[in-house]
Amino acid sequence: MSTFCGAADHAVSRRAFLGAAAAGAAVAADMTGLDILGSPALAGELKKGQKRVILLWLAGGASQLETWDPKPGASTGGPFAAIPTDVPGLHISELMPEMAKRMKTTCVIRGLNTKNGDHGAAAKIMMRGRRDEAGLRYPDLGAVVAREMGRADSPVPDYVTFYTQTEGRGMAPGDAGFLGARYAPMELTTSPTPENIRRPAGLSDDDHLARADLRDLLGKDFARGRSSDALASQGEAYGRVRGLMASDSLFDISKEPQKVRDRYGPTQFGRQCLQARRLVEAGVPFVRVARAWWDSHGQNFETHQEMVPDLDRVMAALIDDLGDRGLRDDVLVLTLAEFGRTPAINASLGRDHFASAWSMTMTGCGAKGGAVYGKTDAKGNTVTHEEVNAANLFATIYAALGINPHKNYYVGSRPVPLVDPGAEPVAAVLS
Amino acid sequence: MTAPNPDTLKQVKSLDRPAAVFAVAAAPGSQRVYLASQDFKVYGADLAADKVEPKELYAHGSYVTGVALAGKHLVSGGYDRKLVWWDAEAGKEMRRVDAHGKWIRKVVASPDGKLVASVADDMACKLWDAASGKLVRDLRGHKEQTPHDFPSMLYAAAFSADGKRLATADKVGHVAVWEVESGKEVAAVEAPVMYTWDPVQRLHSIGGVRSVAFSPDGKLLAAGGTGKIGNIDHLEGKARVEVFDWSAGKRVAEFQSDKFNGLVNRLAFAPDGSWLLGAGGANEGFLLFFDAAAKKVLRQEKVPMHVHDFALSADAKSLVCVGHNRITTHTLG
Repeated sequence: MSTFCGAADHAVSRRAFLGAAAAGAAVAADMTGLDILGSPALAGELKKGQKRVILLWLAGGASQLETWDPKPGASTGGPFAAIPTDVPGLHISELMPEMAKRMKTTCVIRGLNTKNGDHGAAAKIMMRGRRDEAGLRYPDLGAVVAREMGRADSPVPDYVTFYTQTEGRGMAPGDAGFLGARYAPMELTTSPTPENIRRPAGLSDDDHLARADLRDLLGKDFARGRSSDALASQGEAYGRVRGLMASDSLFDISKEPQKVRDRYGPTQFGRQCLQARRLVEAGVPFVRVARAWWDSHGQNFETHQEMVPDLDRVMAALIDDLGDRGLRDDVLVLTLAEFGRTPAINASLGRDHFASAWSMTMTGCGAKGGAVYGKTDAKGNTVTHEEVNAANLFATIYAALGINPHKNYYVGSRPVPLVDPGAEPVAAVLS
Repeated sequence: MTAPNPDTLKQVKSLDRPAAVFAVAAAPGSQRVYLASQDFKVYGADLAADKVEPKELYAHGSYVTGVALAGKHLVSGGYDRKLVWWDAEAGKEMRRVDAHGKWIRKVVASPDGKLVASVADDMACKLWDAASGKLVRDLRGHKEQTPHDFPSMLYAAAFSADGKRLATADKVGHVAVWEVESGKEVAAVEAPVMYTWDPVQRLHSIGGVRSVAFSPDGKLLAAGGTGKIGNIDHLEGKARVEVFDWSAGKRVAEFQSDKFNGLVNRLAFAPDGSWLLGAGGANEGFLLFFDAAAKKVLRQEKVPMHVHDFALSADAKSLVCVGHNRITTHTLG
């Protein structure tokens, strides 16, 4: 089975999408009128083709031993038991009873060896799948997915990132790299909804349109005779302002039925994952929900006892919700971090940074539910089988989304492949 | 009985262990101890031996975090949620009970050895008949959730010297005093400084009241933990103890170490009440002596491991500390 999308399919979807948008109502013209979630025509078109991603970014490094790769009884195993799942032979931490019932939806990669245990450097690697080169800043996963899956005239943002906690936020910013500002994320930090997105009260809609026209005129005048990717990217970004201004209702979870909100629970992570579901349902190609901060150098087990049940409940709710809405085949849910945690337990009952043998998950889209790839030794210190590095992982993610990981972007005339040369997807986890 | 001066504290032995030891129970009048270990096992050891070789007695299904000796009955509890009764004279297991719904954090015996109390993260304190293993009371009152919608934890328990009161303490700093006979909560005090919730940087918490102890006359109640923590990735808060006149609901003293960071995991008053000993640690360990009446720190001593528990003899002349991969013995006086 081919895992790569055909361009023609996208073209059909795009035409249908735009047609439906035009017929639905002057979506972008009316700042209060964005109602993709209420439009079966639009939602139906989105469901047919466009792949989207929700990245649950476990910032600071969640422990693989307290989540996806437990080692009960080992000296490094910690106090938690492992529980069976709905996949025969697969056990995960007892802290995840809800996910244990849903592992048929999810594949686990247990053999990550990403080699870098420094928060900042590792976060960049795991957001981009590679290290930057001198003079070349690579786009992160969100920017690539935005570029590949976004629609030029989409009234919704292409890349949204929630990162409310301050710790680690600066180490893992959304970054479009050489793709430019057009694919930079809409970042939500302290506010649950985009800030400064609404038209100021003192500015009429006509005036706002007139300003945009003036900016466009001046921009085009400035660009005349100049050739610059940055200029073009800037112009495109401004061209989408009206649509983005209309998207704030997508962030409003009060529009969801109470039973749906209850399913996600009362925590900030739950609320943001529900927002993420609303966004991808409306066609946003990439949403990152960063849940910081897992850096449990002291009291690792207390920290995971507190945080993993929230991850378990919210992730399960998200998977169920996407399934209920017929979106599971089109939305890839990832759990990923900059690294995992040491098997060794320190004197403060903590675990430290560890990138040599850790885990991540993929759910939905082209990921094979129930698959487990990679094996670590009895104490979790090394990968013994089926090691996966960052480049392999990103090739796999792209393949799951139907993106050819070997395609080139061009920086000037230089071809730049999406993943490091030679990196192949892990076919065993692709459906 | 006049307690020995803390200035006379002297370390006698330091014994390596392959895993952390979370709790210790000492047989009165001897150097026989029982050890609750991170390797899921309970050990017996004679610390008077030239070469101390702890012997495995039995195992739990997870970390063993509490052990108490009530007469001949050794009762241990662990993160497997079970209590195990062991006949220390006959050397055999008597019963194994599914005691709690979540991790058992501590097991303590009443001074007369008739009752055993266990506290767990199901936020229940259960009183058990030490001889029969029968559940006597199920004390509920600690909240299951923190104010921030995360699971709370019930860390500590201690009987008063007369056995009439029992104190329990949880993650958010709530300390309850129970009347053992009736099972009623008769008082509560709060030590919220020991709970750090970080809503901005890291969105989780650390800390909690990890130890409680009544003064010999039962009037004062000490609570141990850690002070507020800036970076909750680490146990970098100052070791902290607060002392309450619990019946008045009033804090009468507070101590914060100027030398050591970390959790105060165990507290005990001297038999004459002249000092209060706290032990704990972070990456390194400490013993702290306080004078609760004079509200001053008497001594702050480094020990070679994070201390999880200690056993202080009735005359306070012998101290056994257990912790991160090590056991130390000390004398006073």
